[in-house]
Amino acid sequence: MDLQVFIDLQDKFDKESELFENVKAAIKELDRSCRLASAKLSKAHSLPMHKLKEVTDAIKPQFATIQQNIGKLAELITPVTFYKYQNMWTQKLQDACALVVFAVYLEEARLATPADIKKHLGYSVNTTNEPITEFVFTLDEYLLGVISLFNELGRLAVNSVIVNDVQRPQEISTFVSELYSGFQLLNLKNDVLRRRFDSIKYDIKRIEEVQYDLRVRGLIS
Amino acid sequence: MEDISSMSANKKEIITTFSKYRDTLDVHYDQRERIIKCTRDITALSKKIVFALLRITQDSPEKVFKDAETKHAQVLELFRKLSKELQGSDACRYNRQATAGIQEYIEAIGLWHFLQHNNLITMDQVLERLSIDGQPLVTVTNEDYLLGISDLPGEVNRYCINAIGKGDHDAVKRSLEFLRLLKEGISLVLCSCHIKELGKKLPVLNSSLEKIEKTYYSMAIRENELHSIGIMNVDNSEQANII
Repeated sequence: MDLQVFIDLQDKFDKESELFENVKAAIKELDRSCRLASAKLSKAHSLPMHKLKEVTDAIKPQFATIQQNIGKLAELITPVTFYKYQNMWTQKLQDACALVVFAVYLEEARLATPADIKKHLGYSVNTTNEPITEFVFTLDEYLLGVISLFNELGRLAVNSVIVNDVQRPQEISTFVSELYSGFQLLNLKNDVLRRRFDSIKYDIKRIEEVQYDLRVRGLIS
Repeated sequence: MEDISSMSANKKEIITTFSKYRDTLDVHYDQRERIIKCTRDITALSKKIVFALLRITQDSPEKVFKDAETKHAQVLELFRKLSKELQGSDACRYNRQATAGIQEYIEAIGLWHFLQHNNLITMDQVLERLSIDGQPLVTVTNEDYLLGISDLPGEVNRYCINAIGKGDHDAVKRSLEFLRLLKEGISLVLCSCHIKELGKKLPVLNSSLEKIEKTYYSMAIRENELHSIGIMNVDNSEQANII
């Protein structure tokens, strides 16, 4: 009996640690670019609708940076070990999805599809259960990104009134209830998706309250 | 539910795409559920192997190993089922669900290997046992292996206590050496790896080791004592009674 087994294991773990550090560094860069994009996109809350194009145009180059940063991360990861490390970056990829989803809504008042994610961030959303062959966004990441839109729109409904746009909360409300009916189709299990799904109702309530305020004062019909 | 023809185009689109997402998620959740069930069966059967092996202090080794071999064939059958769910990237995707079973299995064959060869089972030997036609049925990660063997002290401890009851001093000596190796080895690896659960196993290992050291200590004292008063020619079973 000797320690060789453990010395070999130690070697393997040390090699893995190197990868760990590189992945962490790549995620940090990605985080930075997501936060910057988020700050730029947040300006949408303080602008009237006709000025939104400034914001959505300004965000495009930022998406390109995010794409580059995801690329640097993707280089480190092989498809086989993808899911082993996925929990390290999943939050950031959710954030990135959320940014695209919000930007697409601002631009076209519709839900961003996986194709939009691919277009803006350069990587596909895996909407199937096939074993993966390249770096992807998981379906969960996309859906969680979409769920953040409810929160963002709850805020936007309030802020629309601040910039004197009393029609927009109405549009937001219709959009949100349609989107919510989509989520109600899912048979969720007790996991992150379920918890975030459960929080949607509070955002919807916020939007309904804005509508109530406007209607009760006769500001909308 | 409202009729799909009366929906706005936007809503129709959402309902169609989300129905697809639901199907994808359902398939994923079902697969996860099947893996959890299969893992539970593997865990239960592996525990039975462990109990069968621990009877080695009561029964003849041939009978015990034969019994374990029968159960082992059943576990392999379960692993064959499991392997269908863990192809390609799915091995890592569902590792969290499957790892408990794989660990328990490694613990069982690790104990077996120790009893038979008085040595620590290696990763290659684990894969060899898990193979059918030279092809391992599932991927075993270094984490699975390490966590599996770090559960061995508890079982070795049990074996050791039973062995003392039978007056088998050699078994105590072998167990002690084995646990010392595990302790040194695991402490060595601990500084390089990111496995949270491993840290929790070390205290258990330490207490197992301490128990065996104490037992060995009192055995040594008695033996010396007996030597000094010159009654060392008692047979094993009587010695056991003294201890």
